[in-house]
Order: sequence, then C-alpha cells, then structure tokens
Amino acid sequence: MELTVNLKSRLDEIKRKFPFAFSSVLPAIHAVQEEFGYIPLEIEPAVARYLAVPQERIREVTTFYFMFNNRSVGKYHIYLCSNVSCWLRNYESILAYLEKKLNISAGETTPDGRFTISLVECLGMCEQAPVMQINGISYGDLTPEKIDRILDNLD
Amino acid sequence: MEKVTITLNGQQIETTTDKTVLQTALDNGIHIPHYCYHPGLSIAGNCRMCLVEIEGIPKLQISCNTFCRDGMVVHSTNDRVRKAVRQVLEFLLINHPLDCPVCDQAGECWLQIYYMTVGQYDSRFTGNKVIKHKKATPIGKWVMLDQERCITCSRCVRFTREISKTNEMVIFNRGDHCEINTYPGRELENRYSANIMDICPVGALTCRDFRFKCRVWYLESADSICPSCARGCNIVIHHNPHRPHKRNGARVMRLKPRYNPEVNKWWLCDDGRYNYRFIDQGRLRHCSVLSPTGREQLYLDEGLRRLAELLRQTPPRQTLLLLSAHSSNEEAFAARRLFDQSLGCLCKLPDEGVFTGDQDDFLIREDKHPNTNGVLRIFGWQTSDLLPMADLLDFVAQKNIKVLLVNRHELSADILGQLDQLECRLVYLGTNVTPAAEAAYLAVPLATFAEKEGTFTNCDGRVQKFSPAFLALGDAAPEWEIYSRLAQHLGLEQAFPSAAEVFEQLRTGNPFFQKLEFHEIGAFGELGAP
Ligand code: SF4
Ligand code: SF4
Ligand code: FES
Repeated sequence: MELTVNLKSRLDEIKRKFPFAFSSVLPAIHAVQEEFGYIPLEIEPAVARYLAVPQERIREVTTFYFMFNNRSVGKYHIYLCSNVSCWLRNYESILAYLEKKLNISAGETTPDGRFTISLVECLGMCEQAPVMQINGISYGDLTPEKIDRILDNLD
Repeated sequence: MEKVTITLNGQQIETTTDKTVLQTALDNGIHIPHYCYHPGLSIAGNCRMCLVEIEGIPKLQISCNTFCRDGMVVHSTNDRVRKAVRQVLEFLLINHPLDCPVCDQAGECWLQIYYMTVGQYDSRFTGNKVIKHKKATPIGKWVMLDQERCITCSRCVRFTREISKTNEMVIFNRGDHCEINTYPGRELENRYSANIMDICPVGALTCRDFRFKCRVWYLESADSICPSCARGCNIVIHHNPHRPHKRNGARVMRLKPRYNPEVNKWWLCDDGRYNYRFIDQGRLRHCSVLSPTGREQLYLDEGLRRLAELLRQTPPRQTLLLLSAHSSNEEAFAARRLFDQSLGCLCKLPDEGVFTGDQDDFLIREDKHPNTNGVLRIFGWQTSDLLPMADLLDFVAQKNIKVLLVNRHELSADILGQLDQLECRLVYLGTNVTPAAEAAYLAVPLATFAEKEGTFTNCDGRVQKFSPAFLALGDAAPEWEIYSRLAQHLGLEQAFPSAAEVFEQLRTGNPFFQKLEFHEIGAFGELGAP
C-alpha cells in the first residue's frame, strides 16, 4: 500500500516539527487515521519508511492507544465510557439501549457502515456520567431519550 | 562524574555519581531484586521490583534509575521496602500461569527466585487470569515464545532495538492486554537472536534447542572459549554428567555466554552458540590404520609407533604437517617444537576458512578459527605466509611430499584421490570421523576444546584460557600429549606434560607471550605484548 499525495504532505509537515524521527510517530498515526479512518496494517511499512523509523515502532504505538482503529469503523464512531464513574451511573443500561437501537454489539459496525460502538476508558467527564463521545464530540448525562435525539440529528 | 559515599543498609559505600543505586549495590555484592534492568541495555524502569527507600524522599524510588548522590541513605531490606516489593511481585504474578512443572526456565527463573525471598506465599487473587494466545510458539529458528509467562520487562525488546538493531520484538497493546510478540508476519531473524532467551528473566522466551533436554539443576559447567571464530567469545559449557543414559550419552547440553567486558560482553552469536554437536557426535575415538582388509583399530601407542616409523622412513623435507588454527597455543607450540625444530619437517597453516568474508561490526569475525592469531605468532608468520588450500596439491607435487599429516582439515574427494596418485601417504589427526579420516593411512584421535585445558589467542591478541568440561572420548587426547608420546617413540627427549608446562616453554623465547603466566591468566584473559 502506498502513501497518498495528501498524506505525504501531511507527514512532511509533521516531520519538520520534530527533532527526532520517533517523536513524529504519534502525530503521523493520527494523520493516517484521518486519511483512511483506521490504520491499515499494509500502510505501516510505507509510513515507517517515510519517517525513517522501524515499522514495529508504529505498530506498538497504534496498539497502545484505543483511539487508533486497527480495522475500518463506521462513519460515526461511538466511544462509550465503561470506567468507574460511568459504571456507578449504570452505563450498562445505556450500552444495552445503544446495542438494541443499532442492532449490533460493542466492537461491531452496522452493516450500512454508519455506526461503530466501542467501550473505552475514562473520557474525563465523570461529573456528567454516563458519557459518550461521537467523532470527538462529547455528550453527558445520557438517557435513552437523549441518545435518540443525538443519533437522529446525525445525517 | 564525582566520587561520593552512600549508606546502603547501614553500610558505607564509595561510588560515583554516574552510577545508579542498583549498580552500586550489585557491584558491592548486595542484591536488590530487579527484572527490567540489565547492565547491557538502556534503563527502562518499568518492572518496579527494584524499589528502595531513600531517606528524605517520601515515596519509594526505583534504584535502577536513581543516581547516587553524596550522603544518600538507602534502605533496600527494611519492612516498608519488602512489603512494597512483595506487592509488585504479587501483581506480576496475577496473570502468570504458574506452570513451573512444565516450564523449561524452572530452576533459573527469577520469578521463582524472588518468590522464595519476597513472595506473597498465599495468593489473594480470586478473579480469572487474563489468557494470552501464543503458547509454545516458535518465533524464530532458536527461540520459543510463551506469551503468558511474560512479565513485559522489555529486555528482549531493548535487545533487538539496541544490540542486534533488528527491532523484531515488540510489546503490543496496553495494561493487562500487553503482549510480547514479533511484528505480524515477521520472524525473529538475526544472528544474535538466542541472546534474548538468556536475558528473559522468566520462561517466556526459551531455547528451542535446549527445551526439555535436561533440567538445569542437573547441569555442571566449565568455563571455556567459543571455538567458532577468531573473536573467542567467552562461554560456559553446560553439560550433564549425572544422567548419561539420557539423550544417547550426549554430554554437552548447551553453551551459554560468559561475561567478558573486553570481548563479548554478555552476548554470543547463534552460529557459535549452537556449534557444539561435534563434541559428542561422530567422534574419532581410536587410532586406526588402513589395511588390506579395511580399517584396523589400534591402541594409541601402537598407532603412534607406526607414525614414528613412517616419519623415520621419510626424509623430513618430504614430510608436511598441515597445522590447524583450532589447535591451542600450547598445541601449536608442541607441533613447532617437534615437527619443525626437532624433526625438520615442513609445517604450513592453510588459509581454509580464514578469509570467508562473513563478518559484521559486532562479534562475528570472518576467520572461523579460534586461534589463527596464536598459531601465526608461535611460528612467527604473517597472514601472507598461509598456504592457499587451492595450492596444496601443487605444493605436495613440487616438494615431492611423501607423508602429509593433516590436522583437522577437511579434504575433498578430489584432493584425496590426487594424493593417492602422487603416492603421498595421508595421516589424519582430528576430532571427528570425516572422509579424510576414513581415507587416511593412519588416523589419530584428538580431544575437542571441551575436553582439554589450554589457551587461544583471539583476533585482538587476547590470550584466553579454557578448561575441560569432561574427559576426552576413547583414546583422544590433546595434541601436546600425543606429540609427547610420539617423541618417545622417535627416541627424542621431548616432553609436553601439561598445558601449563607447555605454556611455560612457549613463553620463554616468544616476546608476545613472555609476560603472561598460565596460572595468572584470569577469567577475562590477558593481552599479549603489543
Ligand atoms: S519475553 Fe521475557 S524478556 Fe521479553 S518482555 Fe517478556 S519477560 Fe521480558
Ligand atoms: S562471534 Fe565468534 S566467537 Fe563469538 S560466539 Fe560467534 S562464532 Fe563464537
Ligand atoms: S529494575 Fe528498576 S524498575 Fe525494573
């Protein structure tokens, strides 16, 4: 798999900002994910070559952070927090509602490619638990009704 | 760097500011538990086993990444530290399968060792262990991976990053999903790969060659030198004298690196590490002579009597000894004394396996012998004096050589046939049964490096001593012993009673060896005169 022109120019920009090749790995992976929606295993060698780091070092970073997807995800990626505060506030019922509404389980993508549900660790908004995040936008104090409203307003 | 004094467990210790507390403790014989720290690798500080209390700092500190300061007061054994370390170990063991009975690391496993000293004897964990997928999976030619035994110390990762520079090992994922593995679709493939199972403190990486051959507590060890190239890496021979009925009487179980800061540090190459089978397999055990009815086995002394007879009948300038750079310094010296100086035979060292071109900028040298340097210095030769193996037959024809003594070299069927045509008698001295040994008029068994005492001179001029792990098989003996007996049959007053005494003869009169004393050559060897 080859780097796209757009990705190459993004990587050039990133490389310029860092004194060591290895420091550019994390922002570079973000750029790859923005380009493809996930980190395809096949692109890693090309990225590694471009940054002049071993490909192993890219993989270790992508697998370390949950926000990097190792396979393609839906247009809307729902992160549902499963940590202590949300658990105390019964995120499990929210999960059950989401799963029923979208007819998939956590970790799966709807057949039309619109939604993916992932269980994640703390999103840093414990005071509004239970919390979810969709493509970077956070929503707190979730109830089934609120979920209906949020999802129905997405195009 | 500054000289400072720290107090460790009430004991005043002099050290320097470029040393960590852990290094200082280890250098002074005080053991602080540790997993991720390895003196040959960068500091990772991730296992937390090396926690110590430092007065004035409220929290416990990791001693592997805390550098010494003057007046530091450190405690590594008080109750607070012991309790913390016990808890660290408890966490490390939470997902560990505890399968010691079927684990090859048992007996040399640092989980077991620290469990005995700081273990939480009764498990308090009632949950289910996280299960990892790869059990007993080969990840390369020599190394077997059991993921669930890994404590993610990252020593293997740092080795492939910093030493072999090949980056195969990676820790993927995070937290209790952490998994040690190679990159998808990639194998552990570098010429130093087996070192990672030496430095793995637990049974996650084990040796495919050694697995289940022998429990480590049955092993005995002897300090030795790797004979597989001119670097002369320091090794220990682990052998199994207690259960000879196992494994068809094979004695050597494995070779392990022995620390030498001047030569190989903590490492070995795979080629050298696994080149040991010739010590037990296919050995030449007895003298034999070619007779009309086939090969006839002889007592050693009868074989040597016949060799003496042969040498007496042949003019010395028509006798050629092909030396071997597998011979020790003492053996090469005895050969020179007897064949070159007393008998006046021709002696040559062939160039076979010297200029192979196979070397790197770490340990591996292109010369695949342990002692080319020593043999050259003993005979006063340069590398330009080596006899090209391709010219051997011409040399034999030109000088009308009638007796060719070959020390260990392999001769091709072609050369063997031509020697016959030139009516040149072949005498083979060697450790193993080879086509040359089988074609030779006379074959004489020699001891391998594992069966004798002596010294090799490595590529840098370092004279290093090796000691015997066990007795030689059959009638095999070190060359100096063979030559001593041969001298008797020749009626010469020449004796080479032991490696030490031959070395003594060698060093008088050879400026390179002059300053060295056999018994004073220590574990790291000693450089000869420049
Ligand atoms: S496999 Fe062994 S050396 Fe490698 S990280 Fe795990 S415990 Fe450490
Ligand atoms: S580098 Fe040479 S001496 Fe060292 S282990 Fe390898 S073959 Fe033996
Ligand atoms: S040895 Fe210090 S943290 Fe591992």
